Formats: sequence, C-alpha cells, structure tokens
Amino acid sequence: MSTVYNLKREVEKPARLTGGHRLCAGCGAGVVVAGVLRALNNEDRAVVVNATSCLEVSTFMYPYTAYMDSFIHSAFENSAATCSGVEAAYNALQRRGKVDGTVKFITFAGDGGTYDIGFQSLSGAMERGHDMVYVCYDNEAYMNTGIQRSSSTPRFARTTTSPVGSVGQGKKQNKKDLTEILVAHNIPYVAQTAPLGNFKDLHSKSYKAIYTEGPCFLNILSPCPRGWDYPMAKLAEITKLAVDTCVWPLFEVEEGVWHLSYTPKKKLPVEEFLRPQGRFRHMFQPGNEWMIAEAQAYVDQKWERLLERTGA
Amino acid sequence: MEKVLMKGNEALAEGALIAGCRGFFGYPITPSSEIAEYMARKLPGLGGVFVQAESELAAINMVYGGSSTGTRVMTASSGPGISLKQEGISFIAEAELPCLIVNVSRGGPGLGGIQPSQADYFQATRGGGHGDYRVIVLAPSGTQEMMDYTIEAFDLADRYRTPVMIMAEGTLGNIMEPIIVRDPVEKFYDKPWAITGCKGRKPNIVNTLHLASDFLEERNRILQAKYKLIEQNEKRAETFLTDDADVIVVAFGLMARIVKKAVMEARKNGVKAGLIRPITLWPFPDEHFKKVAETARMVLSVEISMGQMVEDIRLSVNGRVPVEFYGRIGFTPNPEEITQQLLLLAEREGF
Repeated sequence: MSTVYNLKREVEKPARLTGGHRLCAGCGAGVVVAGVLRALNNEDRAVVVNATSCLEVSTFMYPYTAYMDSFIHSAFENSAATCSGVEAAYNALQRRGKVDGTVKFITFAGDGGTYDIGFQSLSGAMERGHDMVYVCYDNEAYMNTGIQRSSSTPRFARTTTSPVGSVGQGKKQNKKDLTEILVAHNIPYVAQTAPLGNFKDLHSKSYKAIYTEGPCFLNILSPCPRGWDYPMAKLAEITKLAVDTCVWPLFEVEEGVWHLSYTPKKKLPVEEFLRPQGRFRHMFQPGNEWMIAEAQAYVDQKWERLLERTGA
Repeated sequence: MEKVLMKGNEALAEGALIAGCRGFFGYPITPSSEIAEYMARKLPGLGGVFVQAESELAAINMVYGGSSTGTRVMTASSGPGISLKQEGISFIAEAELPCLIVNVSRGGPGLGGIQPSQADYFQATRGGGHGDYRVIVLAPSGTQEMMDYTIEAFDLADRYRTPVMIMAEGTLGNIMEPIIVRDPVEKFYDKPWAITGCKGRKPNIVNTLHLASDFLEERNRILQAKYKLIEQNEKRAETFLTDDADVIVVAFGLMARIVKKAVMEARKNGVKAGLIRPITLWPFPDEHFKKVAETARMVLSVEISMGQMVEDIRLSVNGRVPVEFYGRIGFTPNPEEITQQLLLLAEREGF
C-alpha cells in the first residue's frame, strides 16, 4: 500500500464485491464490505466467509455470486469456526507446498451473528489465534428476519421485538460493547470504524487488519435505512452524525495500545443523530426528554472513558 | 360469532395467550418471527414475559427454566432453529416439564430455503434429540386450527407433563384467514411438582442426571409408560370419503386441504379416492389405517418432503396394502398434479 491514501486510486482497482448484488438501495453493509475488500492488494486472493445475514442472502444467491473471491457460508452461529477450519486447512496445504501465493481469510457477519449467536464461535477463533479478520457489519438489529432487537441494538430503539407502546418504550438495555470485549482477547489488532467521508479510516483499518498476522477484529457501523427508518439517500449523513455525536467513536487498539482515530471538531448533541431516525421517534415526544438526557449521559460516559484510554 | 381476519402466526400467538401462556422465549427466524413479534407486543401488557434470547440454545433453556416454575411457556422457531433446540428438548422431556415448541417449518437440509416444507417430520416425531423420548406433535391445517391446536397443546402438555410441538408449514404461518377467537382458558392444572419456593413443604427437584444404572432404567420405564398412555388416548386423524375408497391419500397440515380438492376432482373423474389426515403426527393415528387396509386397494402419501410420513403409514398398514409416495420440496404440490397422480394410479392398477 502506498503511504498516501488516494480514494480515486483505490476505487479504480478492480472491484472484489461487484455490482448487481441484491442489497437494498442505501444499505450500509454493501459499502462496508466493498470498502474492506478494496484494501486487499490486487495480487492477493481471499476467502470470504459469511454468516447467515442480509449480506449473505443478497450477495451470494447460489449459483450467483457478487464476489470475485472464494466464498463460503455455513450457518448463522459459526462463521468464525468455519473460517478457522478453512484457515487451518490452508496452513496444512501450505506446509506441504500445495498452494501458491497469499490467501487472506475474511469473515463478515452482522451484529446478530456476532454479538449474539456467533459470539462463542468468534471468541474461540480469536483465542486460538487463526490468521484471519473478523468483520462485524453492525446495523444494530436482526434486519434479515424483520428488524428484531439484538444485543447491539442501542437503548430506546424501536424494533419489532422491542416495540413502543403503553408498556414498553423501545429496547430497555444499552448496547453491548463488543469492541471492548474483543480487546480483552489480547489479539494483535482491534478497531472500530465506519464508512465515512473518503473512506480513509475504513480503508487503513481494513488494510492493517488484513495484513497483520494473527486474529484481527473490525467492528464497522453499517446504517440500515429500513431498520433505522430514515431516507435511504442519507447513508453518509447518518454515518457522519454517529461519529460526530460520539455515538460511534473511531478508534483502534494495536497490540493492546489504544489510539483515538478521530475527534470531532465540535461534539454534537446526541439528538442530532437520533432525530432523523424513526426508530427513536418516541424519544422526541413530550415527557420523554429524560430518554434523550440518559442517551446523552451514556454517550458522554463512554466517550470520556475512551479519551482516558487513548490518552487523547 | 364474529370472525376476525388473522395471520396464521398471529392466530397461534393469540391462541397461546388465550391458553394462559405468560412466558415466551424466542429467537428470530423466517418464517416464524411474527410469533415472537406478536408476543413482544402483547405479553408485557398481560403481566407476562417476553425474552429475546441470544440464540435458540438459550431460548429453549429459558423454556426449561420457565416451565420449572409451573408457568405456561413456549418458544417458536423454524427447522434450523429447532435443530439447535434439540438438546434442550431432550432435557425438558426427561425433566417432564410441560411446554409448547412451535416449528413453522421451511425447506432443508442445511440452510435450505424459506419455502414451506414438511421435511422436519422425522425430527419432530422421532424425538429429535438424544435418548428415548417422544414429543406430542400436532399438525394444524388452517388458521383456525393454528389457534385451536395451540390452546389444546398447552392442555396436553400440562396433562402429560411433556413438551408438545406444533408443526406447521411456513405457508400456514403466513396466510390470513377469518377465524373465531376463542374464550380465555379458565381451568388450569395443579402443578404440585413446580419449583415455587418450598416454605412449609418438601423441596421439589427438577433433574435429568441419573448416574445409578437402576435409577436410569427406572426413569426410562416411567417415561415409556407415559408414552404408552399418550398413544392410547391421543391419536387423532380426520377422514374424508374413506368408506368406499379404492385409493386413500394421506396428507397432513395445509397439504391435507389441498389433497381434499384432489380427492373430489378424482371422484368426478370416476376414481374413488379418500383422505386420511393425521392430526397427531406423534402418536401416529395407526388405528385409522386398520379398516382402510382391508377395504382400499392402494394408499398414497402426499408430503412436502422426499418421503417421511410414508414410513409410518407403511408401519400402520403392515404390508396389507401397497403404499406409494408423491412429494415435492421447494414447491407445494397443487390439486391438479395430485389428481393427475390419482388418475395415473387408477389406470395403472385398473380401479
């Protein structure tokens, strides 16, 4: 990789996630996956592993594939285990001199397949130390089955299983801090990013994750216009608001050392991120001001802690 | 009585509430997710509990815990999720805990697809998990029965202290039909075995670990005696035009309603056809086959699978009448193609 990032040069590389897949217009996941795969050096091959997800049912409808690389999917709960198996087999072949060239192993799974049902398999793969990248495209609910809450869904968000009504006011619990849990696995590289601006942050973190030996983890915010209930043209805007309100801070942890990747010039109030999204609409009803206050307090607390950790 | 237009999955969920179900433990999977969504909307207002688990394994074990307290509880999923629940179902069967497990089934094996299917028949009727156990399996054929059998299922579960499964093709979960909403169940069973706090009484124990050989065998004998009793009391089937039929078609679920039309069409074409529709898939209604094994010249099993129930039919007629099979997967056979099958069979066999 050239030391100076150049978006034009990067997007002129042959696409590894090609157009014509069936993801919704405005879906964050497609942009995220294309962005991660773009970080591969042209001459290197990859094995893409996918958990059951919107991404899987939309990009690999056998016999059609949107990937230029090899693809494997097995079930919902085991993408990291499947990737572990492929990587182990590759190592065995390589030891016997039966494969040439560099092959990279990249797993994509949504938040349901990562924070919830796939967590055991992910933790196992990271602890065993397979040379792989696990990418969570985090859209904060089970979108593929009709927008049910996950342990990544933020507090107060409305989903079909955390409805808003006379008894419930959206999800009761805060979002699980998965990135921090992955840091606790003491793996070489963990980062949180988002498809933002000229994609430099997403690109450089993807490159580091792919070309750092050992298990690496990327948690990438992937807004979903259907599930979050905002106009589909606003992907870039919503992503930027998530970052500028510090709802989704960008940082990386290399060999246990924390770095903050981005500090907003002006930290925006959390309402700016919440207001455009239908899933938070009830928070703006009279009498519910406390919800916004608590959401703000939570973001502030997490942000302060991150600043301490990164020494920023 | 006034009818209400309801979706199959919602009728089932409402049926569970009518039956006094106050605990739902679920995990999303197409085509069953509307059951969880309905429960998420309704249960909190009824003082019940809706929990979305982090996996099917967690959900079925929440059912284990919930049922131990004597509360009517359930979970719902589809084939791949039901596979993950099997360990828990085996534990629940041995712990003799009543509960409802719903399989709004789709096509496998593997990830398969989300097309309606009946290919989880073996999984449902043979126990599914490890060890010698059975689960009562009810197969509704329409939206009204999605509600009614759910109410019935909770009753059977409490009466026999056993998990009960409802197996419905994905279509049944997703079609809408006008139904009569039943009155809330008011009569419940005493549950002296439930874990409710043991002040003033001997503690109850829910346990499935039996390391002593003789106790392990005794436990299995007790379970088998219960299954024998269920077999005696609970076999159910619907029959249609079987008395004079030369060919008996066997089908369950929504498939049976489709077959009914084919049976009438075949009769218009001079072929005396009839239908047996098993309502309980386990215990299998083998009694209903005794008479037709003497009078019919042929039995045809029609399934949305590659042939599973056909094995139970063969066991039931025990060689006295030939049993043939017609099935598809990915598609639901339509009345025309079944009629065609019946006419072909009649021509081949000369009846």
